Amino acid sequence: MADHSSSRPQHQSPAHRDMMFCHECQDEWYRDQHGLTCPECGSDFTEIIEDDNDPRDHHLQDHGESDDGTDSLPGLEEVPPYQDLVHTPWLDSVQNENRAQNNDPEEGDISNLQWRQVGPGRFAVTGTMYRTVSPHDLSGGGGGGRGGGLDTGPIGGFAAMLNSIIGGARLHQDVEGQDPNSQHQHTHAPQNTGSGTTADGHRFTYTAGARLYPRDANHPGPQIEPLDELNNVLVGLMAAFGEGPGGNHPHAHHHNVHAHSGPDDDGSARGTPLSPLMALFSQVMAGNGQIGDAVYSQEALDRIISQLMEQNSTSNAPGPASQADIDSLPRKLVTNEMLGSEGKAECSICMDEVQIGEEVTELPCHHWFHHTCVSAWLAEHDTCPHCRKGITQRPDASNHAGSSNDRSTGNPSAAADSMQSPNPPMPGSFEVSGSEPSGNAMEDNDPSAYRLQNTDQTRPQESRPSDSSSGGIGGILRRGLFGPQN
Amino acid sequence: MALPKRIIKETERLMNEPVPGISAVPHEDNLRYFDVTIDGPSQSPYEGGLFKLELFLPDDYPMTPPKIRFLTKIYHPNIDRLGRICLDVLKSNWSPALQIRTILLSIQALLGAPNPDDPLANDVAQKWKEDQNAAIETARQWTQEHAKP
Repeated sequence: MADHSSSRPQHQSPAHRDMMFCHECQDEWYRDQHGLTCPECGSDFTEIIEDDNDPRDHHLQDHGESDDGTDSLPGLEEVPPYQDLVHTPWLDSVQNENRAQNNDPEEGDISNLQWRQVGPGRFAVTGTMYRTVSPHDLSGGGGGGRGGGLDTGPIGGFAAMLNSIIGGARLHQDVEGQDPNSQHQHTHAPQNTGSGTTADGHRFTYTAGARLYPRDANHPGPQIEPLDELNNVLVGLMAAFGEGPGGNHPHAHHHNVHAHSGPDDDGSARGTPLSPLMALFSQVMAGNGQIGDAVYSQEALDRIISQLMEQNSTSNAPGPASQADIDSLPRKLVTNEMLGSEGKAECSICMDEVQIGEEVTELPCHHWFHHTCVSAWLAEHDTCPHCRKGITQRPDASNHAGSSNDRSTGNPSAAADSMQSPNPPMPGSFEVSGSEPSGNAMEDNDPSAYRLQNTDQTRPQESRPSDSSSGGIGGILRRGLFGPQN
Repeated sequence: MALPKRIIKETERLMNEPVPGISAVPHEDNLRYFDVTIDGPSQSPYEGGLFKLELFLPDDYPMTPPKIRFLTKIYHPNIDRLGRICLDVLKSNWSPALQIRTILLSIQALLGAPNPDDPLANDVAQKWKEDQNAAIETARQWTQEHAKP
């Protein structure tokens, strides 16, 4: 176990202090104070104490473990059965590594991912991988072509994953998942292929960051570039960590992860990166609120509903009148009779005052307006602005049978009409601030009457290209699903 | 885009002949955008409340209705929690003969005559139907809480 006294102290995130433990004298100290070597007895056989991996307990349970300072033992170790079940793209190399493993369970391959949300939409990803490579692996085990060389498979791929996912985000070094070894060599993934590390024939601890670069100045290697598309990355991660968010995959990395206490030991898992991982992705998406066509937040839903409401706001309104009908409306000149009691009248659409002798257009209901004003309205909705009666006299006048009820249920000028005793009613001549408002107020008492009646009238409207605004979603859907309407 | 004469006239009349209990003041930098206040109608649970609304006149006004929304929180079956108003004359029953003034009067009338059978706020309408007295009491409380002048 106590093999590489030469390794440098590991860089730790400042917020965390690693507690060290000496297996020889059971001393404890802070690593940033005294380093990795025991200040009491000088032993290298030390370990970092972690929440979920306390070497003190283990020391009591299994003292025999301390005798295996023989990292370079040939690949005597059998492949643990669970290794066959690990569902990873780099399964072969994992097995290779395990074949090459010595019997120090602490050196089992460990992958530990910590995903933490550190702010809205921001995540810290911490990954530590421990890989054991022995020189024997090169000649034996899974064949000469493999061994250390293939170890880059998992590590490099993993690094690429992290890199791809988090981009340039700074990754904390693992502060919780440290392998309780006394030494850690930080190597860059490609270095595992290089002669330097494999020739050492010993253990490597690979601590991955979002941005990977050679951590070992003695063994510099090329920088890893992101290799994978996000999709591949995700697939890889899912495969690597089992399917469910709960990480219940019975033979997933958990076993690897806690290899500290031996392959046979199914004790406490070293870490459960799975559910945080899943949480990560759901949180990432929720943070943005809107991805594609899906809606992830109440605000987004409200926004869409508001849009729909606006687009459909007038879709229940009657459709347009035909241009021919509009053009054929009778014109008449404003007469003295048409003026109100104050001798004034205005077109209620543009609110411009009309003069005697001016030409206006009269609807069948005898309400009159400027021709340009009322034709603009009728081209969108075939209703009189005052009484809502349509101008179109057609056999399909079932609409207008309904429209005739408007007078009894109330309409914008009902009060005005009733106020005007002379026949025909001249709504344009009522006083501006006269009784019109009360007509509207009354109208609120029975809005549903219009609803029912108006729903019949949507069809002609949607077939008009000119009515783009009121066609709304329904029109689009209809056109999309059933083709252009005739 | 020049402001249509009709909007200018409406604004002038709103200023010169204000409707009791209703005010609508255009923004200086956008004359199509109005800050509106409506007094809660007497004899209603909204009595004593001063309700703020925003009103916007779209480009094609008066061929399309103004867009109006309550800014003050209000407990009403036809007004949802975002202040959107379910009122037929603001939607399919809009008519170019209607005006800002008449629409605001309609909204004031809607406060005096909630219509839970044509709801926008379904939960409120449900309560309104199940226990009208309790709903009215809630509306009164909300008025005290959110609509104090």
